[in-house]
Parts: sequence; C-alpha cells; structure tokens
Amino acid sequence: MVILFVSASLNAQDKQPMIGQPAPLFELKTSEGKIYSLEQLKGKYLVIHFAATWCPFCNAEAPSLEELYQNYRDKNVEVIIVDVKEDKSLVQKSQERFKFSFPVLLDEDGAVSAKYAPEGVQPALARYEVPIASNLVIDKEGKIRFYSLLNTVSFDARLTKLKQKLDELLTAAD
Amino acid sequence: MIYWPFIFLFYVLPCSEQTVADNIVQVTVPEVIVHAGKTATINMYVSIKKGYHIQANKVIDEFIVPTTIEIENHEIITTGEYVFPICKKFKLEGTSDYLLVYDGSFKITIPFKTDERVQKGKYDLEAKLHYQACDAKTCFFPKTVAFSVSIKVV
Repeated sequence: MVILFVSASLNAQDKQPMIGQPAPLFELKTSEGKIYSLEQLKGKYLVIHFAATWCPFCNAEAPSLEELYQNYRDKNVEVIIVDVKEDKSLVQKSQERFKFSFPVLLDEDGAVSAKYAPEGVQPALARYEVPIASNLVIDKEGKIRFYSLLNTVSFDARLTKLKQKLDELLTAAD
Repeated sequence: MIYWPFIFLFYVLPCSEQTVADNIVQVTVPEVIVHAGKTATINMYVSIKKGYHIQANKVIDEFIVPTTIEIENHEIITTGEYVFPICKKFKLEGTSDYLLVYDGSFKITIPFKTDERVQKGKYDLEAKLHYQACDAKTCFFPKTVAFSVSIKVV
C-alpha cells in the first residue's frame, strides 16, 4: 500500500505539464534587438530553455544546450533561451561565456515566462519564477510535446530525456 | 521536576535578540554588549528551511549569487573579516560540477571594534542578508532579508 502511494506520488511529480496544449505565443527581442516570435518559428521543432544567469542548474546545462543545437540544427530544430527578468548586460556576459550560437531572448518583465507556468505548479511562487530552468519541445504545429520542470535531485544536465523526445518526434516525422 | 526552576528562569529572563524570517531563511541576532574602544563579535544565527539550500559565501561560478551580509556603514564600529561557516558540496548530476551551499542552521560571526569616543547607549545597525536558494524543484530569484543588529555600549 505504502509502496503504491509513494510510486503514485513520484509519478505525479514526474508527470509533464501542458503536453498537447498550444504553446503560449510570444514575441521577444535578443540583447541585440532582433525580434523572434513563436509564429515565426512555426514549422520547426523548437527547444525552449527558461533561464537566469544566477541559476546554477541553467548554467550547468548550458554547454549541453549548445551541443544539442550543433547536433540538431540541420534537422529542422531551433533552440532558444528565454532569459527571465534580468539586465541585458548580464545576459550578454553569459552569452559570451557559453558562446551560444542560438538566440537568447530577453523576457524583461517575466510575462512570457509567466504564461508558460503550468497551472497549479508551485502556487506559492510568482508565476514568472516557475519555469526557470525548465526545458520544452514545441512541435511544428506549435504544440507542447515535452516539458521538464527543474528537478535538482535527479538533474538531467545532459538533456538525455529531451534528446530522446526530439529523436522520437524526428523519427515519426520521417 | 528538579529542573523546572532553571527552565522557568530561562524563559522569563529578557532575551534581547532580534529574529527576522522570510519563507526560506530565518536570521536571529542577539544583542551585543561592548565597552567603548573594545572589541566584540556579532553572532548571526541563520536557519534554512528544511529541503532548501542557499549558495555559500564563496562560489565557484562567478554568475552564482553568493550569500553575503551587508551592515550599514555606522561610525560607531569598525568590522573585521566576516566569518562564514564551512559549506557543503552539492553535486550537479550529469556534470563534474558541484555547488558550494549551506543548509540547516549555521552561524556567521563578525568581529568588530567600537570607537573609543562612542557614547554609552544602544545602537541599532541596519543589516541585510543576501542569498539565492534552491529546493528540489525550483531555484528562487535572489532575495534579501533585512534585519537589525543591536549593539549596546556600556
């Protein structure tokens, strides 16, 4: 009985939110002023990582994100980072550090991040705080197909599960 | 039964300290009594809510927000080097990296010397604890807890 309860709790915790839902629309600028929107990226598989420069888990997976981009960019996959509520100069410094070759978008007021906060998750937090360090995969039609919220205890720095999902989607599309 | 009088005394004696807390961190600072021109130590007792950790004072990654203490620049004291506790290593799974963190309860001490010309009396210095916390599911935006440090010059 206890084992069943614990197992159910763990499954509930691991269950990905918002799967199959249309990804909330956004239009954000890079630190250089270039505008990117979800509309404009439709037709591609899109990996979104919500980040902040002070977030240790975001920084730990940053090299894996760049590696993912290099390995999947020719497979109709785009990668973006949405940086939440931070100063442009700090974001630029972080970009230089990790040598990102994909866009880093500035969500200056946290409004986009708040739209991606799953309902009922971490209700005590400000909505824009919830997606920090999360990874999503949006499909070509703009639907959410993968959403991993941060789990600091079994942290997936190498993005293994995200890559599995991408491979699955790409194989199905062939 | 024999211990009751002592317990009673412990609770009825005025305990001059200040405790300030937010939903993650609690800071308690007992009043410091010192003579003019002498040295003493401010003890800050910090308690982190169970399941959370905060970044240590020394960080490996320059982008990480370290735990720091800020005491308003008051003319009655000159502070020495702040002494933070020994931190723990928090392994970042899937990488060779780790974070230096504090959890549970710990003490930060700040040695200081009062100015020789300072007048007797009680001085409340405004102070701030800056920190960035994470738990199993979230990393929180950097926060600040404001509190005051009472120094009584006798």
